[in-house]
Amino acid sequence: MENKIKQLRKGILELAILGSLENESLYGFSLIKKLASYQDINLTEGTIYPILSRLSKEGLVKSEWRESHQGPPRKYYSLSQAGQKAYQILSEEFKRLSGLVYQSSQPSPEIMDGKKEKTISIKKGSKNGQ
Amino acid sequence: MANNFSETVQKIVNNYLDRLKSHLKGLPEPDRKELVKEVYSHIYESYAQDPSEDGVERIFNVLSRLGEPHEVVASRVSTSMVDMGKKRKLPFYILAGVMIGLFGLPLGVGVFSLFLGLAVTLFALVICYYAMAVSFVLGGWATMIVSIIRLFYQDFLLDYVQGFEKLFDYPTGEILTIASSLVLLAIGILMLWASKHILRGFKFLILLPFEKIKKAREHRK
Repeated sequence: MENKIKQLRKGILELAILGSLENESLYGFSLIKKLASYQDINLTEGTIYPILSRLSKEGLVKSEWRESHQGPPRKYYSLSQAGQKAYQILSEEFKRLSGLVYQSSQPSPEIMDGKKEKTISIKKGSKNGQ
Repeated sequence: MANNFSETVQKIVNNYLDRLKSHLKGLPEPDRKELVKEVYSHIYESYAQDPSEDGVERIFNVLSRLGEPHEVVASRVSTSMVDMGKKRKLPFYILAGVMIGLFGLPLGVGVFSLFLGLAVTLFALVICYYAMAVSFVLGGWATMIVSIIRLFYQDFLLDYVQGFEKLFDYPTGEILTIASSLVLLAIGILMLWASKHILRGFKFLILLPFEKIKKAREHRK
């Protein structure tokens, strides 16, 4: 079960990081604080660094070092243009899929016009995607 | 880097960063330095904002929230380490595969004995060949000398003469003996001369399977 949670969190955390950086640039610790301020997500803080480095390797995120008025310099991350685009596409997809997750736990609707078919086709699509 | 860590806290931080570095051995130097710097920055910020009074308690809170070094480096190291591992291990696996294929454990002893038997047999053949060639040469040469002497002293080694001398009258027997000893000598010399070619042939036959293995291995590399 723990593994399943990990898998689920990884992708969603990545998306949330992209979202956090959409309108402002943040350094690692401030990004963690921002994420934790919305939800108590019980985050192992170090795990965001591998995600950030993967995102910058993929060119979705850019980074620069800036001096801090106190203490060591901070590495600020922000979305690249490709990152902006990717975030829009991915968050759209995520909205649709999370809607599916909530709907799928409802009792299946009586044979209604088209609505059920649509749900089924999404399910099939996701299966083929695996 | 200005910091307000106490000595003990600085020691704990250094220990953590050392352990982090040891997890980053597969990475290129600039990447390593950058990550260590970033994690140090994180520790500083997190420490500055932790509410605990005691410095040691504070740094332990910071580090336990941050997670163990292997979690911080998780995906980065894995890819470059895996790449390195592949480069190093692939030829070894191929070689091991070839060796197991040829001398596979269950067959190992049998195949080895077969090779050993063949080698000993060939060695014995070579020894016999040389013994024969040398005895032809020596025998032919000695017989010729004796026969030539007998041409002049008919009684020389009379008791030991067994061949043509008994069948034919003097000097026909002696001349025939000289002729046959010359033939023997020629055969011996011919054998010695041919030996280097024959040996080369044997060598080629023995080394043939090894050459094939070597070539196959190089080809797969």
